[in-house]
Amino acid sequence: MINQRDLRPKDMGRSDDQLIKLDNLMPLLAPFDKPGMEPPLTDPKPAWKEKYCTSLDGYVGIDTLTRPKSKEDEDEFVRKFLSGLEKIFSDANNGVLQPLLLSFEYCAKCNTCSDACHIYTATGDNELYRPIYRSEVLRKILKKYFTTSGKLLGGFVGADIDVNWETIARLGELAYRCNLCRRCAQTCPLGLDNAILTKEIRKIFSQEMGIAPTPLHTKGTMLQIKTGSSTGLSKPAFLDTLEFLEEDTEEKFGIKLKFPVDKKGADILVLHNAGEFMAWPENPVAFAILFDAAGLNWTLSSEIMGYDSVNYGLWYDDTQAKKIAMMQMKVAKDFGVNRVVVAECGHAHKASMISSDRMASDRIPVESCFPLLWDMVKSKRLILDPSKNNFPVTLHDPCNVVRQMGIVEPQRSILKAIAPQFREMTPHGVDNYCCGGGSGFAIMNSANFPEFRTQVASRMKFNQILGAFKGTMENTSLPKYICAPCSNCKGAMRGILEHYDATEKFNLQYGGIVELMVNALVSMKKPFLEFLE
Amino acid sequence: MILSIIAYLSIVLFVGISVYKAYQFANMPFHGRMDLYPVPKEKGYEHGGSYYEEIAWWSKPHEVSHVREIIEMLKEIIFIKKLFENQRPFWWISYALHLGIYLLMAWTILLVIGAMFELNGIIVAANSSSIWGLLLFYVSLVTGYLGLAFGALGSGLLFLRRLFDNTLKKYTTPQEYFNLLLIFAALMTGILTWSRDLSFGFAREVTGNLVTFTPFAADGLLTLHVILVGIMLIYIPISKMSHYVGKYFTFHKVLWDNNPNLKGSDIEQQVIKASSFRPTTSWSAPHIKPPAAPEK
Repeated sequence: MINQRDLRPKDMGRSDDQLIKLDNLMPLLAPFDKPGMEPPLTDPKPAWKEKYCTSLDGYVGIDTLTRPKSKEDEDEFVRKFLSGLEKIFSDANNGVLQPLLLSFEYCAKCNTCSDACHIYTATGDNELYRPIYRSEVLRKILKKYFTTSGKLLGGFVGADIDVNWETIARLGELAYRCNLCRRCAQTCPLGLDNAILTKEIRKIFSQEMGIAPTPLHTKGTMLQIKTGSSTGLSKPAFLDTLEFLEEDTEEKFGIKLKFPVDKKGADILVLHNAGEFMAWPENPVAFAILFDAAGLNWTLSSEIMGYDSVNYGLWYDDTQAKKIAMMQMKVAKDFGVNRVVVAECGHAHKASMISSDRMASDRIPVESCFPLLWDMVKSKRLILDPSKNNFPVTLHDPCNVVRQMGIVEPQRSILKAIAPQFREMTPHGVDNYCCGGGSGFAIMNSANFPEFRTQVASRMKFNQILGAFKGTMENTSLPKYICAPCSNCKGAMRGILEHYDATEKFNLQYGGIVELMVNALVSMKKPFLEFLE
Repeated sequence: MILSIIAYLSIVLFVGISVYKAYQFANMPFHGRMDLYPVPKEKGYEHGGSYYEEIAWWSKPHEVSHVREIIEMLKEIIFIKKLFENQRPFWWISYALHLGIYLLMAWTILLVIGAMFELNGIIVAANSSSIWGLLLFYVSLVTGYLGLAFGALGSGLLFLRRLFDNTLKKYTTPQEYFNLLLIFAALMTGILTWSRDLSFGFAREVTGNLVTFTPFAADGLLTLHVILVGIMLIYIPISKMSHYVGKYFTFHKVLWDNNPNLKGSDIEQQVIKASSFRPTTSWSAPHIKPPAAPEK
């Protein structure tokens, strides 16, 4: 093991059992600053060390990346990676070639990006997580094998890395220690983007080597392409779920709710992250209550690919992303709606409006739910009583929606109108920090990865939350609500609150924005938010 | 004569290779969107907003301010704004180098103009009777002194910082030290050469001779200076120091390019064109079906 202060990019090929060990995390704010408030980090189990690549930092992000059985397997693994590395600069990768080459060529190594990274900061400035560390390893490998200057001049131009199974496997793992939040790219004086390089590493692993975390690939995009949803929810099960939710809503709130499904002539097709129906069903219920109250002509779809907005391909595999985006767009077109509205799911926002925007022509317009919801509040189509939400509320900005799409104000305008004790996190808006669940982390639960997510990747966000609620934390009779209007972000929040037992100890609650809106509806006879009962 | 050829050749190659690089980037395949906010041309730039904050955004005009975009671009080019905001200690020395380069570019142009003046009988000196001669003399002095001082100081300090900073030295390749040393050496030979000529009168004379291919007596130091500047000018565009080319594309064609694919738009035409392309290379993972054969 190397002291992280001495770690250099060329050390990735060293034969150490584990390259570094995390031991100096950024301190948490009060009340979690006292000893014993945080469980210590654990070592990987011996069985994991034998089976997976724990030789980076002890964590396992890619559960399909298993150790080779023979020297031939090792060589084949390296050969495949190099073949994929060559392909990212070929016409097979036209869709990102220009941005990739720019970020690859021009890094001046000024190191301005490091302080912008929540993971680097959370680890106490650990060298392994410096944004340019990963990029530099990739550059060294490419120079060594594929550039004339690297072949002729070697170490002079930086082509000084040993490439073996360990180097490549560690690099694959390291690509899953970045949330692809692109906060570092905002600070780069040259406009370069380390997240592009990180994602290219993930793509080489998936598109060339067939290696990707099971929750993203086999139980993610593959399952979605096969069944229509990454949850595995089939059409009959989806319809049953809606029926159950209608009955449940009537029973709980006395509201006769009817989800419109496959309604002909509807203006809007609403796309939810199907995970909401399983984990947070109150969210699609709240959407239905609000859309009905505002008199919108909307529908859900029960068609395969029509009831799940997710597109995990965005995080690791362009070919999967394209397949899913095209199938989803086809559903909308076949349906004949005027527009698609994406509900509270950050990456689905980006997938359907940004990433797939230039995949095909003649698209049905897609819009975010936030401007629409704000319009309903602003135009007073909803009769709201903000005093019903008279408890501290803070807003988490999903990176995909805010930094990567520029949807910043509508959601905070809503909160300012319906939550008297709304307070911002520091920083917020386009300068926000990732929740730690971005780019698939929220659903990656194999081996010890959840520990990395909650204690490292989400650490900065947890401190932001604690900072926003400073002075109210000790009052346990007062609920404190983290509004995280994104399914993945909610997954990360759930992970944080459970890990630190923060709901039980400090009455820290989380949820989306529509739940708060419904809670404020004058017509609601009882609180919509369960923790208020 | 040889020095004249080196001077002309290096400037032609500097411009030529830079333009060629820009041409190559400009002709790269159409790529997907990678907007990153705040985007200066957007109406909601102050809070980092975009047209997606509007309902039915596709039915409304996309209000953009190219003036604001140009202002932000100039702030970045002239002042290196992002470095100033995000890493002030590094900005001081990086900006010294860049400001030095800008001033030296101005100085070079002023020397050429000064040489032309002198060839046409207008004296460029402190005792010149021409107001233009006087102005040119003093502006040349200021730009020359400051340019050489800032440029040498910046490149020297950047070199030392990379050498002694525990973080930066892990990421700096020998080639990157060489880049800074080359600039430093070119500027130091300039300082040594022109320190014997504080009024830059000889510099104007040399410039005039270089421009007009007139043979002149150059000592070893001047010869070395011209050769080093020549090498530097040819080397910069082929190295990653050509980031002045890349930076245009990273901002304008990647981070700030948020034009949507609407019916009837230019983007739509490019999307249609790009979707008919069949790649010659394909990925090998089992879940990827091979694409159709390349079109003949």
